[in-house]
Amino acid sequence: MKFNVKIEVMLKPGHSDPEGETTARALRELNYPIESVSVSKVYMVVLEAGSKAEAEKMADGMCRRLLANPTKDDYRFEIRETR
Amino acid sequence: MNLYQKRKVPFELFDVNILKANDARLLEISQTMGLALNLNEMKTIKDYFSKLGRNPTDVELQTLGQTWSEHCYHKTFKGTIVTEKGKIESLFKTYIAKVTKELNLSWCISVFEDNAGIIEFDNGYGIAVKVETHNHPSAIEPFGGAATGVGGVIRDVLGVWADPIACMDVLGFGPLDYDYERLPPGVKHPKYIFRGVVAGIGCYGNNMGIPTVNGAIYFDESYTGNVIVYCGCVGLLPLDKFAKNVKPTNIIVLAGGKTGRDGIHGVTFASAELSEKSEEVSRPAVQIANPIEEEKLKRVLIKIRDCGLGSGVTDLGGGGLSSAVGEMAHRFGLGAIVELDKVPLKYSGLAPWEIYISESQERMLLAVSEKNLRQVLAIFAEEDVEATAIGKFTENHQLKLTYQGVKVAQLDIDFMFQPPKIEKKAKHKKPTLSEPSFPEPKNLTTPLQKILSSPNVASKEQVIRTYDHEVKGNTTLKPLQSQHAGPNDAAVIKPLDNSWKGLVISCGMTPAYGKIDSYWMAASAIDEAVRNNIAVGGRRIALLDNFTWGNPEKPERLGALVEACRACYEVAKGLETPFISGKDSLYNESPLGPVTPTLLITAVGIIPDVRKTVSMELKTAGDPVYILGQTGKELGGSEYYRLLGFIGKTVPKVKTNLAKRTFEALTGTIDSGLVRACHDISEGGLAVAAAEMAFSSDFGLELCLKDVPRTNDVGRNDFVLFSESNSRFLVEVSKQHRRRFEELMKNCNYAQIGIVTDDPFLKIYGLNEEKLVSAELAALRKRWQSGLGGA
Amino acid sequence: MKKDEVRVCILRVGGTNCDAETKRAFSDLGVNAEIVHFNQLLKKRNLFDYHGLVFPGGFSYGDYVRAGVIWAKSVAAKIGADLEKFVEKERPILGICNGFQVLIEAGLLPAFDGVSEYPEAALAPNIPPGYNCRWVYLKRENNGKCVFTRNMPKNRVIKIPVAHSEGRFLFPKEKENEYLKRLCDNDQVVFQYCHSDGTLAVGEYPANPNGAFNDIAGICNPQGTVFGLMPHPERAFYGWQLPDWTKKGTVPAFGDGKLIFESVVEYITKKF
Repeated sequence: MKFNVKIEVMLKPGHSDPEGETTARALRELNYPIESVSVSKVYMVVLEAGSKAEAEKMADGMCRRLLANPTKDDYRFEIRETR
Repeated sequence: MNLYQKRKVPFELFDVNILKANDARLLEISQTMGLALNLNEMKTIKDYFSKLGRNPTDVELQTLGQTWSEHCYHKTFKGTIVTEKGKIESLFKTYIAKVTKELNLSWCISVFEDNAGIIEFDNGYGIAVKVETHNHPSAIEPFGGAATGVGGVIRDVLGVWADPIACMDVLGFGPLDYDYERLPPGVKHPKYIFRGVVAGIGCYGNNMGIPTVNGAIYFDESYTGNVIVYCGCVGLLPLDKFAKNVKPTNIIVLAGGKTGRDGIHGVTFASAELSEKSEEVSRPAVQIANPIEEEKLKRVLIKIRDCGLGSGVTDLGGGGLSSAVGEMAHRFGLGAIVELDKVPLKYSGLAPWEIYISESQERMLLAVSEKNLRQVLAIFAEEDVEATAIGKFTENHQLKLTYQGVKVAQLDIDFMFQPPKIEKKAKHKKPTLSEPSFPEPKNLTTPLQKILSSPNVASKEQVIRTYDHEVKGNTTLKPLQSQHAGPNDAAVIKPLDNSWKGLVISCGMTPAYGKIDSYWMAASAIDEAVRNNIAVGGRRIALLDNFTWGNPEKPERLGALVEACRACYEVAKGLETPFISGKDSLYNESPLGPVTPTLLITAVGIIPDVRKTVSMELKTAGDPVYILGQTGKELGGSEYYRLLGFIGKTVPKVKTNLAKRTFEALTGTIDSGLVRACHDISEGGLAVAAAEMAFSSDFGLELCLKDVPRTNDVGRNDFVLFSESNSRFLVEVSKQHRRRFEELMKNCNYAQIGIVTDDPFLKIYGLNEEKLVSAELAALRKRWQSGLGGA
Repeated sequence: MKKDEVRVCILRVGGTNCDAETKRAFSDLGVNAEIVHFNQLLKKRNLFDYHGLVFPGGFSYGDYVRAGVIWAKSVAAKIGADLEKFVEKERPILGICNGFQVLIEAGLLPAFDGVSEYPEAALAPNIPPGYNCRWVYLKRENNGKCVFTRNMPKNRVIKIPVAHSEGRFLFPKEKENEYLKRLCDNDQVVFQYCHSDGTLAVGEYPANPNGAFNDIAGICNPQGTVFGLMPHPERAFYGWQLPDWTKKGTVPAFGDGKLIFESVVEYITKKF
């Protein structure tokens, strides 16, 4: 079966987000009433797996092994079967 | 009448019915296909195909459109210009190339004929230099435009088998505080463009590991709609490995990135006749940069060079394959066959013409003999770079393109490179301006402080720090001097491990004068570039010219261009500094008006021993400080006038014989080790140069204007302080060498006007020894550092 | 062993770009330094032909995902076991800038309990944000375990350039104190950012150029043989590379960066 996996990697709470802060500043300059901006990274992955559970396990592994650094990153993912 | 006849083949190929097209239809074809060819050119093409007795294909027309484009053929610079004083056959030959030809210097190895100019360096090595403009792409997408500008100029240097060792970038933006409400639709805010361009330049150079060592940033109202992005690159090559001897049967190898629709501009077939094509995906004009791909490509090319496996190389830039293949065949008097279906694509569905003119980035073209091909491809594979044999060079002077076995184009190379000459009218018109009249202000500390924090003078540190200027570990004089990040006049690189010889890189650009007088604007840009080079110890200077101009179809714009070119000849000849390469960007006009006539001059000199380099900050208390050169009442376009809201009329001139004498004498004193610090005097005049030298150090400076060598018309303190007269320097001489310094300077305008102190203040006394300026250095430095705000 | 018997491998992949100047630094000291593409090492070479290994600066694989992580995972997957053995044999490994990022992401540093499967620290985007190229001061903190600083007295202040956008050393928030204590107890803190007089930056910009936790600029593993740092010693090897040599009138022969290379070469010659 083929699955679409949308993986989002974001900073853990409590860590500074220089990219988000810079973006917030730039948007404020454009006169938007910005309170805060946080930046996360999204990976759209298409993969082959036997079941949704297996796809979930793979996605979790990908995050732990490459896409997120547990020191500072959280992650979450959504899985959808596709054709 | 159906202008476009689809061929019955399993891919997109059209015959274009120009044989039956009248003038109106010819122009329609040019416009619909985005050829940007005028009627005369279209008629020339019609005649050519009439003789062949057939219609051209879309591939052929697109090829000619690219080859004859302003971008590839420089029609304005090579064409005929009709002025009030008579005809000029080729601005390029009449003024720019003539300097080099007449000077006839043995160290100019390859000028104007290749991707980059090449001059001799040391130990059998040459230096290749190129500066490109990337204004239009940067206006559309600042990050990508600037990044691909850097990528492109680095490929130019690779295109002469040189290893890129340094980048230079000169930028022009509208005022960063530009009112959002005043921006016309489609014009992006200067701050947005500024951030994007700076990030794009940093991204490419840093990622490739090439230090960005020199540059400048100017702000001008006219740059709001016409951003200026000049990207320069210097490379090093062993001259005996400079292989350019392409022969028939040599294989054409395309290497690097895959080909997509990148950079195919505004061309659309979605016309009534072609309704089936109107669903065509939009063709992105924005190019995506991939510096890592180019870094790998660079490694392979250097290896192929060192192994002597290539017989020719060129980059793929404007015009893509069409320019690269055509120009290489033309240069070596050959023909070429290319199988377009061999070109590796990013995605399927590209028509043959798209493949041939695509401007996808990070691609290079090599000519390789049959026997070396396997080895060359293996080297590419080792480095994970894709390389494909796509055709070969042939004996006959024909360009032949095939796709899936079908011939899609066949053109005479000679015809391709003989476009009809363009004739344009030029009219020289001086703007009506006047010299302002105002009383001399009592307090000159305040204007000095304001000029220090004005965007064109203020520190560019926040930008420079985002560029890696240290990578490769060979930058011996850095753009930012020491702990206070003083503005050095030039960068010095020590490229060879076994030689102390250094390369000195500087630039000059004086657009403020361009609004008043384009002749003296160009003259001043040359003087500034050269004196920046001389100031740190450079000599034997070669120049590059990069014009950014408005629409040359308008006679006044062209008239101003002719004047600027005339200055290039007269001043560069006078200073004995040959041009070795150049590039122009014309048609810089936006809804906000034309760009201010702007000429960037890049100067590349050498210093025999980098250990003799002079930096700009003061070094020792008690040392005398001298001014070199003559100060005139030349404040037109100055920062001082701008501060007061004036433009003025009299811009700085260049007296080449005096300038040359000063330059040579200063070089002599530097070589003799007499000079501790030296700074050129430019925007903001003597006052700004003095302030910068002092606050970049931990020493103070006391000056008196009484003895400043000046013309008779300069009778005011503010004019002496803020005049921007050319060919001047402020020099700290070590105390014990004062006499020898004066001896060596005796034939020049010079005077001791001050002394380095232990007191952290800048103090300036006037023509009558009255106190004019007294300011704490830390305060001045802070002003200067905060000029760009938190941009 | 003699200096001319020492072999140092300077690894590279696409995007590595400080290999040449790193090689020059080692070569200047009279050892054999070789730039080896990772592909070549996998195909033709044996890691154990070399006495020392360097991950130089650059933007390996474009620094996509996170700086250094792609190369780190590829190294772990392809030569992970060999590398662990290399570390066990106390052959030195140096990571400069991007190389430091690789060592952290590969779990070779701080490696409290040996090479870790998941990174125990991070080199996060700078604060203030963005690429920053400048000269900074470092204080040698190590008590003597690190083999890359043995030719440098404790508390010695060195001048050296940084150039990166992801150099903010940090630990997981919840383990910050615990990990810091382990780092100090194990004598793993090698360099901290400081002012010219040696007082620590205490997070103050620009002395601490990236907001690194506890001013940490470089650390080693508990054995002291694996060392990573954000600054570039190869750019402070010769006197003419220094930013203020024109002040002095004469050019000093060498810069402070040389001490790091000298130290490790001396370690190798004595140890093997």
